[in-house]
Amino acid sequence: MGQPVFLGHGVGLRRDHFERVLSGPARVDWFEAISENFMVDGGRPLDVLTRVRERYPVVLHGVSLSIGSTDPLDEAYLDRLLALAKRFEPAWVSDHLCWTRVGGRQAHDLLPLPYTEQALLHVVERVLRVQERLGRAIALENVSSYVAYSQSAMPEWEFLAEVARRSGCGILLDVNNVYVSAKNHRFDPRAYLEGVPRDKVWQFHLAGHSNKGAFLLDTHDHPVIDDVWDLYRDAVRRFGPVSTLIEWDDRIPEFERLEQESGRARAIQEEALQQEPVKTARGAV
Amino acid sequence: MNAGGPFDLRRTQELFWTLITAPEGVRAAIDGLSGRGSIDEASINALFAGDERLPAVERLDIYANMYFYRLLDCLAEDFPKVRAAVGPERFHNLVTDYVLRHPSEHPSLRFLGRRLPEFIRDHQQVAADFPFLADLARLEWARADVFDAPDAAPLSREALASLPQERAGESRFTLIPAFALLRFDHDVIRFWRALDDAGSVPAAAPDGGPAAAPPRGSIAPPARRSAAARVWRKDLVVHHASLDDEEMLCLELAQAGEPLGRICQVLAAGRSPAQATGRAGRMIQAWLEDGILAGVVTP
Repeated sequence: MGQPVFLGHGVGLRRDHFERVLSGPARVDWFEAISENFMVDGGRPLDVLTRVRERYPVVLHGVSLSIGSTDPLDEAYLDRLLALAKRFEPAWVSDHLCWTRVGGRQAHDLLPLPYTEQALLHVVERVLRVQERLGRAIALENVSSYVAYSQSAMPEWEFLAEVARRSGCGILLDVNNVYVSAKNHRFDPRAYLEGVPRDKVWQFHLAGHSNKGAFLLDTHDHPVIDDVWDLYRDAVRRFGPVSTLIEWDDRIPEFERLEQESGRARAIQEEALQQEPVKTARGAV
Repeated sequence: MNAGGPFDLRRTQELFWTLITAPEGVRAAIDGLSGRGSIDEASINALFAGDERLPAVERLDIYANMYFYRLLDCLAEDFPKVRAAVGPERFHNLVTDYVLRHPSEHPSLRFLGRRLPEFIRDHQQVAADFPFLADLARLEWARADVFDAPDAAPLSREALASLPQERAGESRFTLIPAFALLRFDHDVIRFWRALDDAGSVPAAAPDGGPAAAPPRGSIAPPARRSAAARVWRKDLVVHHASLDDEEMLCLELAQAGEPLGRICQVLAAGRSPAQATGRAGRMIQAWLEDGILAGVVTP
């Protein structure tokens, strides 16, 4: 699958906004639903997603695929994901380039992988199996991380790019995660952008984070900061019109605030696409 | 990295898990592993990269904190009344014990709390201090289960009215999937309401010890007495209500697939035929209005 359709500017579908989203027009183009929240038998979540899907494009975004885990793939989970994808016909299905489970126990967190050839082979093989199982290519997102592995033999962007090249999966490029990890591990976020293949990015994520002094924490409980907007502008220049989504998961504001944030992304994208050329890498943030 | 080396991907992930889930923190977990000769500090530093700004152990601690607080937040959301009843500090300690014993094994956090009611029941200290807590947890968990149970169209009044009168006694009800019956040893339904009325202000610790939050309006713990409730979903909203012994028995019979005639026998005890018919009519009427009947089948 090449680059999928450009959906425009969306926001994550969260419970706090269910009523508002269903009660009238929203100034966003699409919604992203957390897959696991809808892997249930019935009731309100599925009812809401059904009605949202009638009016908007939807992407299914998972947090528990655990593509990098050394546990076997969770077949029951894949059954649920496949059923959800059949029912809601998402524009695409995404998850994270990380691991979340070992020994059958779930961390419910996006844990980093060592960027080694062994891990690369392992992840690529699993992505291929998942894609075959789902009958579609998936997109994988770069995560925010706080610890790295001494054995990593390549930078994260190279690992991500190689996974995409070898497996045919797409990339969900989380611009805020690039920024957070760049600060935490002292790399140049623009080198990251330049290391990602232009034709593999299906979607951008934007979110707010928290500055904890010695590190940045990916909390999704703030507006996007100016430095991340700047990085987004550069990402748009490099990757072109890519579907963009605002995530806000804690201390969730009124829906109108998300609409504003999404509108800002739209304005930056429109402005950036009128400018040439693509910026070159700057110094470290 | 060497696939067969000391830190292949599997071993790395197992070690990562051990360190971030240790209740005493990453530093103590490393000391424990070193003491047992499982791993030494040099190996940890060779595996995880840190710097002078943030050493590797502190970096792993970020994950350890997020691990625990994510699970705590999830259970606080699924068991708000349990938390209100014991106060935030006791709840924190309860969750610490619980996730050690029952780490999440499901891809969705939705199911993290499924063993909490029985864990509370078997937890010596908590069960002694709060004898009613397991019942309260069962009620909260039943509500969570009913919330996203399978959908079913409720039985209509017309469908019920079309039953052939002469064979009504042989008819069997089916109940909607989003329905549960619960028996309790404590009157937690009344307690629930009291917590709601008080805005879920935590009660004081029963042993007179330090309460987790100031008891701005202590609520008496529920009395020990048999109680029953039904939990159901109507129009996507979850409800629960107390049941008297008679209605509980009738619903248990209906749930077990017993015919209407058997339910009427229960209601006939100590009543005139007219009274029994009236009682059955009112009861079934309430079930219809609440949408808990899914169908009726006459053989």
